[in-house]
Amino acid sequence: MNVSLNTLELEARKDSVIHNLDARIKLIMTLILIFYSVYSSDLLILLLLEVYIVMLVLFSKISISYYVKRVIYILPFGGFIAIFQPFIRPGTILYSLPFGINISYEGTIFGILLLSRLIVCISMIVLFSSTTPMNSMINSMRRLGFPKILSMILSMTVRYLFVFFEELDNIRNAQKSRCFNLWNRKISYIWRLKQIGYTIMGIFLSSFEKGEKIFFSMVSRGYSGESRSYFKQPPLTIINFYIIALTIAIIIFIEISKYYKII
Amino acid sequence: MHIPDGFIPISQCIVYYVIVIIVGYFAVNWAKNNLDERQIPLLAVLGAGIFAIMAMNIPIPWGTSGHMIGSPLVSILLGSPYAGFLVISVVLIIQALAFGDGGLTVLGANIFNMGIIGSFVGFYVFKALKPLIKSAGSVFIGSFLAIFIAAVACAFELSIAGTFPLEAGLIFMGLYHAVIGLVAEGVISTIVYVTMKNLRPDLISSGSLD
Repeated sequence: MNVSLNTLELEARKDSVIHNLDARIKLIMTLILIFYSVYSSDLLILLLLEVYIVMLVLFSKISISYYVKRVIYILPFGGFIAIFQPFIRPGTILYSLPFGINISYEGTIFGILLLSRLIVCISMIVLFSSTTPMNSMINSMRRLGFPKILSMILSMTVRYLFVFFEELDNIRNAQKSRCFNLWNRKISYIWRLKQIGYTIMGIFLSSFEKGEKIFFSMVSRGYSGESRSYFKQPPLTIINFYIIALTIAIIIFIEISKYYKII
Repeated sequence: MHIPDGFIPISQCIVYYVIVIIVGYFAVNWAKNNLDERQIPLLAVLGAGIFAIMAMNIPIPWGTSGHMIGSPLVSILLGSPYAGFLVISVVLIIQALAFGDGGLTVLGANIFNMGIIGSFVGFYVFKALKPLIKSAGSVFIGSFLAIFIAAVACAFELSIAGTFPLEAGLIFMGLYHAVIGLVAEGVISTIVYVTMKNLRPDLISSGSLD
């Protein structure tokens, strides 16, 4: 978890061309671009995709510092493995370090490829999540044919995420106000673990209790296993078609240029 | 253990997606047949709870930290690995879409590791050991093994994909997650299970009680 939920939602509810696109279109576009960048293994193509994504970011009016910060926060998880590639992949040795560690040419190339792919994918997903409120993300999945029971669980999970993060914050604040510090090494480790266990148990218990409460409030509003919820479905504006056509056109263009060996 | 995008080639990603969709089909069927209406909100709220729990860093000896995954515990408490699978899949989908934790192309592989291996290993090890030792002990061993085996599977997947050599992967992933599994998953799950059994045994599935 790298940003607070509230900043995420605030940023996602801004008003711009990209924000106003239909969530389904954005989801499909994200999937197309991510699958395509994982499929391609040419640095130039990845660069082109990244340029396209950055242009979308500029159009979307999200704060650039916020955007870059999010990309950089997510990067280390995979970046770590990419950075190790030159040392672990056998191949032509570029440079020998002491202790028998060699930097190989193949490894360096592969590492750079992994890292660039990662950057493209993360920039796309951060753009998607910074311009789409979680609720519309889940709704769009439902409308694209996700199984009913799963999308129902998904949409309710999203709704209660915020409640639980607040609850966790409350528990932590209560612990802090009693001078409890999880990372204090002077306190016995077992005792600290126990406190974490109790905190987690508290969250579990309140989920069980809330689950029941929510069920009753749903029933009192007419819910049954067969009930269907109605969502207002705004019509797709023309810009949605333009943007998805543009994305597909770019990919076709890249593929054609690749075929004729222009790039 | 969240594999990012680009680390597994598309052709292999599809294999994991197919496995996940097959298990998902059984899970949805299970939910339709065995869950009464009131348990659907429960699964959703548990998902939100697990999400918060995953965000909680737990200090681990050796100066690092880790977090719980929770699929074994959910499976044990609700009495079916499908429950853990459903809850964790939902959490992983939201993490991948909204937070960029774990990629979209590898979502299938991530759900396979944490959702399928995590829930099924955790639950069935627990079931197998429960008649032999105390239930608290079997929760501990089940949750620990679930995370450890999931990490080993993850190392294998990365080596099949050609991203990380098997030996180094097993040492890094396996050792690191053995410790995390021991402390974060094993000990904490046991504490949660035992306190829950003392306070609200009615909330635990009858099959998972002594």
